[in-house]
Amino acid sequence: MAETKVSTRYANSLLDLTSGKGNLQEISDDLELVLTAIRTSSDLRNFLESPIVKQEVKQSILSEIFRNKIKSDTLSFIEFIVEKNREYILSSIIEKFLELRDAKLGIARVEVKTAFDFTDEQKENLRKRLENIFSYKETHLSFIVDKTVLGGFIAKVGDTVYDASVKHQLEVLRKEFLKGNVQLN
Amino acid sequence: MAEVRPDEISAILRKQLSGFESEIDIYDVGTVLQVGDGIARVYGLSKVMASELVEFPNDVFGMVLNLDEDSVGCVLFGDSTFVKEGDTVKRTKRVASLPVGEKMLGRVINPLGIPIDGKGSINTDKIYPIERKALGVIQRQPVKEPLQTGIAAIDAMIPIGRGQRELIIGDRQTGKTAVAVDTIINQKHTHTEEAAKLGIKPVYCIYVAIGQKSSTIAQVVVKLKEHDAMDYTTVISASASEPSPLQFIAPYSGASLGEYYRDNGKHSLVIYDDLTKQAAAYRELSLLLRRPPGREAYPGDVFYLHSRLLERASKLSDDLGGGSLTALPIIETQQGDVSAYIPTNVISITDGQIYLESNLFNAGVRPAINVGISVSRVGGNAQIKAMKKVAGSLRTDLAQYRELEAFSKFGTDLDKITLRTLAKGERLVELLKQGQYSPLPVERQVVSVYLGTNGYLDSVPVHDVKRFEKEILEFIEVKHDNIFESIRNDKDINEEIINEIKKAVEEFLAVFKKTS
Repeated sequence: MAETKVSTRYANSLLDLTSGKGNLQEISDDLELVLTAIRTSSDLRNFLESPIVKQEVKQSILSEIFRNKIKSDTLSFIEFIVEKNREYILSSIIEKFLELRDAKLGIARVEVKTAFDFTDEQKENLRKRLENIFSYKETHLSFIVDKTVLGGFIAKVGDTVYDASVKHQLEVLRKEFLKGNVQLN
Repeated sequence: MAEVRPDEISAILRKQLSGFESEIDIYDVGTVLQVGDGIARVYGLSKVMASELVEFPNDVFGMVLNLDEDSVGCVLFGDSTFVKEGDTVKRTKRVASLPVGEKMLGRVINPLGIPIDGKGSINTDKIYPIERKALGVIQRQPVKEPLQTGIAAIDAMIPIGRGQRELIIGDRQTGKTAVAVDTIINQKHTHTEEAAKLGIKPVYCIYVAIGQKSSTIAQVVVKLKEHDAMDYTTVISASASEPSPLQFIAPYSGASLGEYYRDNGKHSLVIYDDLTKQAAAYRELSLLLRRPPGREAYPGDVFYLHSRLLERASKLSDDLGGGSLTALPIIETQQGDVSAYIPTNVISITDGQIYLESNLFNAGVRPAINVGISVSRVGGNAQIKAMKKVAGSLRTDLAQYRELEAFSKFGTDLDKITLRTLAKGERLVELLKQGQYSPLPVERQVVSVYLGTNGYLDSVPVHDVKRFEKEILEFIEVKHDNIFESIRNDKDINEEIINEIKKAVEEFLAVFKKTS
């Protein structure tokens, strides 16, 4: 739990910094790149989390990996984090940063679970419908296929779930049966 | 066994699914970070309320107790092995509550109102939150009606009024539960038509069992059924095998159920058996929630735990219907130590206490009430006039007896007055002995206390006192029934009746056969 507190603090300060400099878009693009790199490469993850590798070595390796791919501001932020021995939560700091950025810009990240792949047209329709419901400026949908949903969809924005799945309906029905509200005659 | 046809099921499913398009369920969720020891830490649930009920998978429910900066601490009401890290937690948007109503009578439920007696579901119209605020001064009025326990020693010397909080305190095996159960059984007369004619309103009882053996609870239920007391009683059971959060909320559930009757102008009696175990359960979950421990490792708010519960006992003003909620909390002491943390707390909260002592119990004085240190701070106003008149000297007589009793053990020669005081005291102690499950109606108590305090028993040998009492009461019932009737109806005793009692005693003493 202490982890999220720390990452929120770092993410917040970075966000303040970028809004001062006006390079929010660039920095967040960079950080998204770093995040994908950490997520895809287990070597990089292990390397970051390893307590044996010295600070200087970590800094030099990280700068070698990202030097020509990201802005110097981003790189110095990463180096600063390594300097503070917080590199093991780098990914959580970046996640928090992106979350805070979304909140600031009024972007909703919606996670949609469906039983099967939606067509592009269906996706667009759903996006429009959801945009009507939410009071966000922009809505970004990411789709996950989950067979257990059975039908319909489950959309999740932050902590709130909009559940229109067959799975949930069946669950509701099960509870009705248990309560004895539904009588079979 | 009803038959379930597949086409019926599909019809229902279709009906449910027909509204599918419009039916988007919206709920808030969180993720379990950590679970164990009946506690779960949940990430998310950002809008959750304190003491809100949350739903875990596998039908396990929990209650939110800690709202931290980045997580929520929940206690689980079910088996924590069904909950795993990463599980989704749903908000229910209602604080922990239980269904209340007359349909609860005669049932055994758990603290969340779910029946556990196998008699099917309970459908009530109302749901009360478990934690409710106690009423203020304006809504209340002084305690003025008696709540008859049927135990002569209590009704005569430590009277309890409707709306009072009277603590029953004592070591293990001193008959604390027996006093409480007898009181429930004695409420049977308030549900009769005769009582209604006399203006005695029925008392609905709630027995809250906290941290007891399931077998003990089953025994109490059986005893209540045997005496037809379950018709007006609800048993809330949070046995020792239940998770500590359920034991912690059980008394509040009982109070909410009692408040339903109170708020509807009726009278209720709630027995918390016992609050020591509830405090221990609360200590357990406080420590697991990492709240700082204080004296005896109890958390800092353990006083508030009991004070907010017992403050809910009240007598409503006439404008609000005049209902009442009487609370009989029970506290178990260790080796008679009433200066431990929880006993002192609860003693200071309640309007008096009934001390039960194991040495009295072992000496055969049952109920083992130590009348010297037992008090009732408000009940005196609620005692019926007849009892007030006859029981006035009972307390002092017994006090004098106890003083001399210790003195007489030296075996020195005693003067006549001392001997008389001793003899009277012995007989009074004998008179106040009473068997379990045999509550005495108040008019009979008045007569027997009158006989004791006015020296009519002095000629009866000590071992015959109980038999004498029983027989003379039967004698009066048969030959001088107007005595009982007059006390019952007028709730007072006048010269005329006293003379009649005197006459009856003289008649009876002439025929009473003493055993040698």
